[in-house]
Amino acid sequence: MNQSPSAGTMQAMRGEPPKVAVRVRDVTMDFGGGALAVDRASFDLETGRFLTILGPSGSGKTTLLRMIAGFQKPTSGAITINGRAVDATPPHRRSVGMVFQRLALFPHMTAAENVAFPLKMRRFNPKTIPGRVREFLDLVKLGDYGDRRINELSGGQQQRVAIARALVFEPELLLLDEPLAALDRKLREEMQLEFRRIQHELGVTTINVTHDQREALVVSDDIIVMDGGKIQQHAQPVDLYRRPDNPFVAGFLGVSTFVDGEATSDGLRAGGLTLRGTHATDISEGAPARGAIRAEQIRIDADPQALAGCDTAVPGKIHDVIFEGERLLYVAALDGLPGVEFRIYHHDPDAFDLYDIGAPVMIGWNARDMKIFKSVA
Amino acid sequence: MSQENDTKTFRYPLRWRIMDALEAALDVLWPRRLSPYSGWALIMPALLLVGILVLGLFQIAESSLHVLDRSTFMPAEEYTLANYEMVADSATYWRVLWRSLLGAGLTVFFTLLLALPYSYIMVRTPSAAVRKALLVALFLPFFIGQVVRAYGILIVLGTSGAVNDVLGLFGVEPVRLLFNFPAVVFGLVQYMLPFAVLMLAPALTAIPRETETAASSLGANWVRTFWHVVIPMAKPGLVGAGLVVGTLSLTDFAMPAMLGGGSQDFIANAIYDQFFRTADQGLGAALALLLVALGSILVGIVIAVFGAGTLGMGGKK
Repeated sequence: MNQSPSAGTMQAMRGEPPKVAVRVRDVTMDFGGGALAVDRASFDLETGRFLTILGPSGSGKTTLLRMIAGFQKPTSGAITINGRAVDATPPHRRSVGMVFQRLALFPHMTAAENVAFPLKMRRFNPKTIPGRVREFLDLVKLGDYGDRRINELSGGQQQRVAIARALVFEPELLLLDEPLAALDRKLREEMQLEFRRIQHELGVTTINVTHDQREALVVSDDIIVMDGGKIQQHAQPVDLYRRPDNPFVAGFLGVSTFVDGEATSDGLRAGGLTLRGTHATDISEGAPARGAIRAEQIRIDADPQALAGCDTAVPGKIHDVIFEGERLLYVAALDGLPGVEFRIYHHDPDAFDLYDIGAPVMIGWNARDMKIFKSVA
Repeated sequence: MSQENDTKTFRYPLRWRIMDALEAALDVLWPRRLSPYSGWALIMPALLLVGILVLGLFQIAESSLHVLDRSTFMPAEEYTLANYEMVADSATYWRVLWRSLLGAGLTVFFTLLLALPYSYIMVRTPSAAVRKALLVALFLPFFIGQVVRAYGILIVLGTSGAVNDVLGLFGVEPVRLLFNFPAVVFGLVQYMLPFAVLMLAPALTAIPRETETAASSLGANWVRTFWHVVIPMAKPGLVGAGLVVGTLSLTDFAMPAMLGGGSQDFIANAIYDQFFRTADQGLGAALALLLVALGSILVGIVIAVFGAGTLGMGGKK
C-alpha cells in the first residue's frame, strides 16, 4: 500500500521542515446564489505526502485547490503553507507549482523554454538555469526533447513538460488540477504511476484534484472526499474504501448497492427480509436506515450449500449479465425485494457464463461487509 | 399514438422548410451532375470583381506611359517613362512618399499601442456591462464616417475649439493644433482604432485564460505575463491588425486632406491632384502604380517574415 512517504531529498537539503506543510482552517467560498462552493473545509497535510481531493464535478474540489494556489480568495477561513499565512500573498509570490487541467503550456516556446520560464520569472541565477532545465527534463524522461515546440510533442510528453515546469523551481507545494482527465485510459494509468514516481523521488508535498476514484486510490497517501462543498471524509485509501463514513463515500468509491429499510440490532429489515450488516454509524433500532454493500463482497451461487458460510443468504433472480473483460457483472434482485438491483462482481475464471438471465440463484454476504448508515432523508 | 400528439412534441422548424424549398429550387437550376463545379460557380463572382480591378490596373499602367501634351491637354501618343523619371527626380514626391510611409508607420504603432489594452480589457473583463460599453464606444464612430469625424476633430482641435478653451482656463494662449503632421496621425489613429480592436479581439479570445493563470503561478506578475505570454500569443492578431491599419493609412485620403490643410499630402492626395486638378492622367497613373507597388511590397515583406499563418490562414507554423 501507499502509506510510506519517503522523506524528500529537497526537504532534507533545507533542513528540518515544519511537520505540517499545508493547514486549511474553516475555509469557505461563497460565489453567491445560494449554496456555498466550499463550506468550512479544514484539513492538515503533512510535508512530503500526496493528498488527493476526490469528488464529483461541482463538489468544490477545484475551488478549494484554486484558493490554495491563490487564484481565488476565500470568503472566510485561513490557509497556511509551511507555517506562513498566505491569505494576502498573490499566486506569483507563493512557492506553489501547479499542473493545469489543460496544461496551459506556452505554445510559442520550446519545451526547454517552458521549463526555464519559472526560473527566469523567479530570478534564479541565469548561469544555473540551463543545468537545472536539463536536470528536470531528464527527471520527466524528456532529456532529448528540449528544443521541440509544444505542438510537436505527444499528449503524454506535454504532460511531462507541464510537470517539469511546475517542479523546476522547487516549490514548497505541488498542485495537480485534474491534468490527466483528458488522456485516454492507458496513458492516464501510465502518467498516474509517473506522478507517483516523481513525487517520491523529490518528496514534494502534493495536492491532486480528481473525480477518478481509481486514480485517487492508486496515487495517494491520503484522500479527501468532497461533495456539495463539504469534506465528507479524510482518510488513507484503504480505510476510506473499507470504512466509509457515509453512503456518499460508499457509493463514490467502488460499485455499491444500496438497500433502504429500518435498522435492526444486527442489520436491516427491508421488504420482509432481514439482511445482516454492521452499523457504520450510531443508529437506534427501528430507525430508517440505508445499507451499502460493494459488488465484490456479494457472492452468488445456484447451490445453497456453497453460501453456507455467509451470514446472509437469500434466494433471488438474475436480471442481467454484463461481460466486462476481466470479470462478469451480474445484476440480480432478491425475491422479497424486487425493486433493488444488486450489482455483483464475479471473478471466478472457471465459472463464466454460469447463470443465464432469469435463473434462480442464492445471493449472500457477510455481516461485516454490509454497512448500515442512518438515513439522511 | 395519434398524429396530433406527434406534432405537439415535434414541429418541423420553419428554417428547415425554407432550406428544403431552396434545395428543391437549386436542384432545378443547378442539376446534381454539375456539383463538381459548384466551387467554381461560387467563387466566380469574386473572381470577376477582382478581374475588373486587374483590367483597371492594366489601363492605369498603360496611361502611365504617356506624358501630358501641354498644347492639347491630352495624353501624347508615344510611349515613354518620362512620368516615372519625373516622380523620381522630384523632391516633392519623395517628401510625400516619405510622409505617407512615416504617417502609416506611426499610425500602426500608436493604434496597436492603444488597441491592445482596449481589446484585452474588452475580452477579459468579468463584467458584461463593461464589455458592452466598450463595444458600443467602438462601433459608434463607425456609423459616423471618416469625413464627418475629421470635421469633428477640426471643431474640437480648432483655435477656438474645446481643447483650446480648456487650455485657456489655465492661461495658455490659443495653440495651433491643426494642419500639421501630428494632427493627421492623430486623425488616422482615431479612425483606425476600431479596426485594430476588432482584429485583435479574436486573437486575444483564442488565448486560454488558464495560460495566464499558469504564468502567474510560475512567478510572473501581470506585466511580465503580458510581455512574455499575451503579446507573443497574440502575434497573429497584432500582425493582421498592423497590416490592415498600415495599408489603410498609407492609402488614406480624407485625413491628410482635411486635417493637413493642404500642407500634409499623402500619396493619395497627390494622385487626386493629378487626376482631378491638373488633369495629368499619366503622372497620376504613375503615382498610383507606385502606391500599389509600395503597398504590395510591404505586405509581401510582412507575410514573408511572419508567415501567412499569422493572418489566420494556417500555412507555416
